Order: sequence, then C-alpha cells, then structure tokens
Amino acid sequence: MLQWLSDHLLGWLGPRVRWEPYTHWVTWRYLLLGLKITAEIALFAVVLSLVIGLVLALMRTSPYRWLSGPAAIYIEALRSLPALLLVLFTFLAAPRLHVSLSAMNAAIVGLTLYNCAVMAEFMRAGITSVRKGLFEASRSLGLNYVQTMRYVALPIALRRMTPALVGQVITVNKDTSFASVISVQELLRRGEILNNISFNPIQNLLVVAGMYWLINFSISLFSRRIEFRS
Amino acid sequence: MHELAIQAMVGLVFFFSGAAGAVHSFIVTVHGHEGALVRAFWVTVRVSFLAFAISIIGGTILALMRTSSVRLLRYLATAYVEFFRNIPLLVIIIFLFFGMPKAGVVMSGFKAGFIGLGIYTTAFTAEAIRAGIMAIDRGQTEAARSLGMSNARALRYVVLPQAFTVVLPPLGNLTIAMVKNSALVEPIGVADITLTTDKLADATARTFEFLGAAIVLYLLLTLPLAYATRKLEAHAMRTQG
Repeated sequence: MLQWLSDHLLGWLGPRVRWEPYTHWVTWRYLLLGLKITAEIALFAVVLSLVIGLVLALMRTSPYRWLSGPAAIYIEALRSLPALLLVLFTFLAAPRLHVSLSAMNAAIVGLTLYNCAVMAEFMRAGITSVRKGLFEASRSLGLNYVQTMRYVALPIALRRMTPALVGQVITVNKDTSFASVISVQELLRRGEILNNISFNPIQNLLVVAGMYWLINFSISLFSRRIEFRS
Repeated sequence: MHELAIQAMVGLVFFFSGAAGAVHSFIVTVHGHEGALVRAFWVTVRVSFLAFAISIIGGTILALMRTSSVRLLRYLATAYVEFFRNIPLLVIIIFLFFGMPKAGVVMSGFKAGFIGLGIYTTAFTAEAIRAGIMAIDRGQTEAARSLGMSNARALRYVVLPQAFTVVLPPLGNLTIAMVKNSALVEPIGVADITLTTDKLADATARTFEFLGAAIVLYLLLTLPLAYATRKLEAHAMRTQG
C-alpha cells in the first residue's frame, strides 16, 4: 500500500530510493528530537521576551524620561538589527565578557535580545491605543499609576495586542532555525546532517519544512480563532 | 551623599574611559578592512534590492489572484501564502542552494539567496497588498466598470493606484524586515555584511569590533528606511483621516 502510494502519487517528489531513510523510525526520531530542541529554544525565547518586552514597554510608556529614553533607544536599535546577527554576536562575544554560554543558551539569549524589542513595540502600541480618558478616569477614582496599568490599561491592551504577539511567536519559531548556524542540533541542523549522510537534501528539507509548517500553521489557525471570538 | 557623589564620578570616569577605549579599539581594528566592509555592504544592498523586486511583482500577482473570482487561482495563491509564511526562510534558502542541484538546477549562493528571500517575502507582500485592495471601496470598481472600463483597466487605473498608497507603510516595514532577513544568505557563503564581519572576527579574534561594524552597517540601511516608513505612515494617516 505504502509502496504503491510512493510509486504512483509521490513520484514527483523524487526517486523512491531517496525516501528510503524515512521508512525507518530512527530517522523520524532523530528529526523529532531536533524538533524538541527547536521547541525548547522557542519556548524560552518567547517567555523571556514577553517578560522583558513588557518591562520595556512599561518603561517606554512611563512618564519618566530616564526610564523611557533608554527603553526607546534599546527598542529602536535592536529592532533594526538582523536577529541572526544578534545570535552570532551573543555566541561569539559572550566569552569575551567571561560568560561562557552554550550554543543553545546563546541562541536563546540572542533571539530574546531581538524579540523583546519587537514585542515591547507591539505592547507599547497596545498600551497607547487605550484611550486617555480611561487613564484619567481611573486616576480620578484614586488608583495610582501602577494600579491603573495593572487593572485598567493592561487588560485592555493585552486583548488588542494578542494577534500581533501570536504572529511574533510564529516568527520566533521560524527564527529558531538561526541556532543551526551556531551549531545547535535543532531541527534544521539535523536535517542538514541527514543530507550529509544520505545525500537527499530535497527530501530531508521537505520533511523539515513540513514539520515547521505544521507547527506554525496550527498556531496561526489557533490565533485566527481567537481573533474571531473577540 | 558626599561619598555617593565621589563614587558616581569615579564610575562615570571609568565608564567614559571604557567607552573611549572601545571606540579607539574599534577604529584601530576596523582600519584596513574598509574595502571588504564596503563590498559587503553593497552585497547586502543588492540581495535586498533584487529580493524586493521579486516580492513586489510576485506579491502583486498573488494578491490579484487571491482577490480574483476564479476559485482555482484563489486557492493556489492562498496555498502559496500559507506555505511560505509558515516555514523558516533559512530552510528555503538552504533548499535552493543544496537541494535544487539534486533536481538539476545549480545556482550561485547569491542567486539562491535573493531568490529565496524574494520567494519568502512575496508571501508577506501578497498579504499586505491584498489588505490594500480589500480596503478600497467596492463602489470604486463599480463606478469604473459603469464608466465602460474593462475589469483589468479598472484594476490597473483605479484600484491598484489607491491600494498602493494604502499599503506603502506596511510595505516599508516589510522592506526593513527583508533587509534584516538578507543576513540569512550568510550560511550559504554569500559575502554579505554578516558573513564578512563574522569571518573578520574569526580571523582577528576581535568579535566586538567587527560585529559592532556589522551593527553600524545594518543601522545605516534600516534606520533611514524606518524613518521613511514612519513619514509614510504619518502621511497615510493624514490623507485617510
């Protein structure tokens, strides 16, 4: 049955012998373990950049210039740089600061450096979209600045910025492939290693792309459902 | 209070001497490599520009397909957008460079780089342009049609010009993202800013200085683009009320 499928339907994907590695579970397991590492990088990078991004956004929207100035400089500068460059920079430059980061940690830190700036910008857009009257109303009700943010502005802002943030999560998922450049054995790197074992780059990269696609497409479908609901 | 002031002053002196030292070391290190850095800068510019051309043309075609009344065209365009939006650009570039030769198509790293970047960005450009076309009132098309214009002429002379003013700010942001994404031609050996500075940093063990140079070069490209995009956004806000 499988053979018939591969002979008659998948012929355009290349000669059947090139798919031979994928008839063994061990190949799939190798790639899936890479997918696990990819997911780990993405998870840590997303959580860290959400937290740091929120701090940066609050700093940037705060009325104190000594807080908003540095935050603005950080956001504008880091947002304008390629994430790959930041990953490389973290990996190559950290030892000179006497911090020895493993390649995986360097990838997480590099992606966080970039994405916290991007997410801070989305969050700032969300916070500034909250009408000024709401701030004034809650201030006049006796809430202080922190309480206003916590109970009034952020809940509204969070709902508005969710689609942008989910879109950025997809971008982070895709950007985890940069870790392959600094030798982390995540999904793409493992696909390339398979290329060097069995010389079937088309098939390997199609499988790798399919795995990335499945995850990211499910996230984007999920986010569309959220959007329709709100 | 007095001690605090002294501490702050000592701190400032150390900070500025450190900064001055860093700038000095930067200049001394980078001196002699200006030629390579300038060449790298132009490689990045060329990759971005060619990818931009592909993505504008491809994006417009796909956006027209997605808004067309022919179901097959719509499905094809949607499949393209949904596929390429959700896989990493690096996979596309590596596929073109290492995978396509197996199918008999050999291309240089430069070609694989800008074609891959173009293919990837096309998906995003198509979405932006489609949003622009959807933003144009249906009445515009109907009015053009009732004036005797054909469907294609109405699209060409009435809808698309208006759509482009709407999509210019998002296109600006996409262009910035594309310049940044052009760093991904590094793994396949195109001597763009990232690869050149990376190699120089490797050769001289001066990571901070050369990656600092890369940062400066990228900011030279992206900050003016960001400024122009902000101007376009402000302009769009004013014209659309």
